[in-house]
Amino acid sequence: MADGNKNRAQSKKPTVAQQRQSSERAAAARVRIAKAQARRRMFVVGGAVIGVLALIGVLIIVKVATGAGGPKSGKKAVKAQSALVQQVSSVPVATLDKIGVGKARTGPSAIKAPPLTKNGKPEFLYIGAEYCPYCAAERWAVAVALSRFGTLSGVSETESASQDVFPSTATLSFHDATYTSDYLTLTAKELQSNQVVNGQYAPLDKLSKDESATVSKYNAPPYVAQGGGIPFVDIAGKYVSTGASYDPGVLKDKTHSQIAKALSDPASPIAQAVDGTANLFIAAICDATGQKPGNVCQAPGVQAAAKKLKG
Amino acid sequence: MTLDQQRRLLPNGARAVALVSAVAALAVSVYLTVEHYSRSIGFACPESATINCVKVTTSKYSVIAGVPVALLGLLFFVGMTVLLALPVRNRFRDLAVLAGSGVGVLMVLWLVYVELFEVDAICLWCTGVHVLTIIMFGAVLWSFLPSLDDDRPVR
Repeated sequence: MADGNKNRAQSKKPTVAQQRQSSERAAAARVRIAKAQARRRMFVVGGAVIGVLALIGVLIIVKVATGAGGPKSGKKAVKAQSALVQQVSSVPVATLDKIGVGKARTGPSAIKAPPLTKNGKPEFLYIGAEYCPYCAAERWAVAVALSRFGTLSGVSETESASQDVFPSTATLSFHDATYTSDYLTLTAKELQSNQVVNGQYAPLDKLSKDESATVSKYNAPPYVAQGGGIPFVDIAGKYVSTGASYDPGVLKDKTHSQIAKALSDPASPIAQAVDGTANLFIAAICDATGQKPGNVCQAPGVQAAAKKLKG
Repeated sequence: MTLDQQRRLLPNGARAVALVSAVAALAVSVYLTVEHYSRSIGFACPESATINCVKVTTSKYSVIAGVPVALLGLLFFVGMTVLLALPVRNRFRDLAVLAGSGVGVLMVLWLVYVELFEVDAICLWCTGVHVLTIIMFGAVLWSFLPSLDDDRPVR
């Protein structure tokens, strides 16, 4: 009897072959589950990633097809009012002296390069564009500085791009500007206007071959920290600067006449920024003209700026 | 420790891809953040071109609530890197990684829209971060979705 029970128990115990079969079935099941999981993962992950890429693709197609989001035309340049030009070109020396460097954050950097001259005089080369907000800021200072050495005329009133940083900043345009001076010559090029044509700001002034060569070489490291930007200024091959030398935010929501009027008030943040930058330009120009004229170059404000240029 | 627990602790290929993507995006974000702050000294308009990082990174959309987008990206990828590098896996961490990668992709879509339709320029460095974020998103889904399923009862 006992032997019979033992035999029955042995007969219920799986054989090695049965154990192997069971193990193989379990392994096959695990593989099936793993494959199913992989398919599910592939479906979920692939679907999600493809969905994201498809959305980006749709955005690109809409952009290309409609041209939406392109630049918008700003206020067209008009000839500057004579009163405005008068205010910009006759900032009192006392104001400039009182301000010195003011709130200018950067200024022209000295470089070692062949002299940049035109008509036998040191050349002040300015490259900008009417839509450019940083050019909008810098032009006020350039105009104040140049006016200490000669007569700037033919400038226009315009404003920077409306959808860029520091939108619609009131400024002057040097396109069509003329300059007469016994000490230096001005080459001012506004590469593009603030008027959109075929989805782009319309080309305005073209650089000559020599000017292009100058910009290519000196509007690049190591002469400037970051190349290719505008505004770019080269003062007689002795100094270069790129970008705005002060925070354009001080001009926010100001009209042309408000800015021009503020230039003569040493307490004004606009004068502190614009006139301070102008003094730095004047000091750099004086270095190029051999400190001529003396009454301009020896002014205390200019001397203070010269110290910063050397520092 | 059960086999399942051991598997959860072991790194897998997708998780490694997610971690590498996060670290690479973090490196680019560091560069863009440094660029953002160093450029504030010398503002300049870029030469007009469609591929134009300066135009993108100095636009008014480069700052959200006073915080540079580049810095937000840096902080985001620091968080993702830490979460992905944690040696312990649990449901909370996995959910945080999944949610984070989802937020990252939504931010990518917003930024691509801004580049195309508001700034009208493309920054290649930013595009690099966008690509890495999408790769990280896919790798995170691949790596972490199954672990969330693991807790479901087996039928």
